[in-house]
Amino acid sequence: MELLKCINIDKSYDDKKILKNINLTIPRGKIIGILGKNGSGKTTLIKLMNDLLTPTNGEILVNGKKVGVESKKVISYLPERSYLNKNLTVLETIKYFEDFYENFDTKKANKLLKDLKLDINQKISKMSKGMQEKVALVLVMSRKAELYILDEPLGGVDPATRDYILDTILTNFDKDASVIITTHIIQDVERILDEVIFINEGKIILTSDSDELRNKEKGSIDEIFRRMFKC
Amino acid sequence: MLKKLIKYDIKSILKFLSIFYILVLTFSILSRIFLNIENSLLFNIIGQIFNGASIAMMINIIINNLMRLWVLFKQNFYGDESYLTHTLPIEKKTLYLSKIITSVLTNFLSIIVIAISLLILYYSSDLLNIIKTTILPLLEVNNLSLTGIIIFLIVLIFLELANILQVGYTGIILGHRKNQNKVLYSIIFSFVIYTIMQLILLLIMFIFALINKDFMNIFITNEIVNIDIFKTLVILSISFYSIVLICIGCINIKLFNKGVNVE
Repeated sequence: MELLKCINIDKSYDDKKILKNINLTIPRGKIIGILGKNGSGKTTLIKLMNDLLTPTNGEILVNGKKVGVESKKVISYLPERSYLNKNLTVLETIKYFEDFYENFDTKKANKLLKDLKLDINQKISKMSKGMQEKVALVLVMSRKAELYILDEPLGGVDPATRDYILDTILTNFDKDASVIITTHIIQDVERILDEVIFINEGKIILTSDSDELRNKEKGSIDEIFRRMFKC
Repeated sequence: MLKKLIKYDIKSILKFLSIFYILVLTFSILSRIFLNIENSLLFNIIGQIFNGASIAMMINIIINNLMRLWVLFKQNFYGDESYLTHTLPIEKKTLYLSKIITSVLTNFLSIIVIAISLLILYYSSDLLNIIKTTILPLLEVNNLSLTGIIIFLIVLIFLELANILQVGYTGIILGHRKNQNKVLYSIIFSFVIYTIMQLILLLIMFIFALINKDFMNIFITNEIVNIDIFKTLVILSISFYSIVLICIGCINIKLFNKGVNVE
């Protein structure tokens, strides 16, 4: 059974259609990039998968069931914004994740935080935006989830840390788990992608295996993206 | 899960409220100490200042508690933290209940702290004598006990506060179903619902007054109501607020279950 399936998804705000008839299947064991320009509907789609938005039409199934408590147990989600309680320290935040997620691996979280030289006794509010993003990524990747959804995980971090983050993503999920990454910084992320989905103006315009696309279009994903979305 | 949610919510509210609890109790004790020192104008003035500060702090506790609970609700369900709250593997009903139970507990604790402060400030044998000689006989004639009246009044205040709070939650939920000006709509919805709630209570009382002529005196005269009417008024209000509290709670849970639209 497919891990996640979007069936005829529409999302509108008043008269404005943000997503139009999205049909999408996410298999197991793949790293999938949802690529598109700013405002193309990537984040809206991700938010629908995480029950943060309600679709106007259609439905999303995770392991064959509608999005809900069961899907939240198996999806580990990193939003594009800083979403942790800023009044807590990193240690308290780890305890929070431990309390609410059965599949949270505290040892792994502590190891990753140590690797990134993050002080667990520091308050989240006292950390820079980049550091907060690293903490959030560590917490998300420390869950033994079936699906990791990372919305712009490289947005606020320096290029040196990007490689560490990508390696962290590559080495921290099971073979049966999948990762969805949305980004518009394709150059850095394309080396880890198995499949790509191009989204534009709320529609999926291309779904392909990364290598097949590179061979077919004779260029990197980044070059193909630039060609397709040239202003 | 509910227990864990309540633990985090209470921690978040009491982090700030506990400071005010300590302050109000300290001011009350200091006021009592200074006002008990006889023949000193200076100590009397200081005592009065502490007395005023205690009263101000009591009002602050009630308002601050309400405001913090509303802010926590908005932050957790519609602010940046909502990305964490709504992705927890917990039913929406449980998320909402944790907020309601936290509100009940912190309101109850606030009322207790205020009651203790009032006792520290004003308890005296003279006051006890006044109660014994004037109020108690009046209550006894009407088969009422002082403890009963105090409990009823505390329950009434508590229910009124809980309703104000929950109406605020409803306003926030409805306001955030709009695509723009969500905060403004939240305030408008809260105000409108609260006004409607009070008008319905007034209407129920008026209908009751049409049946009971003594009760009609509330509407047509300026006379002080007798203890029997007062009792009916309190019971009627408590019943109404309890029903409204449950109904609005169920509506809010239903609205939540329909799904959210987080910015």
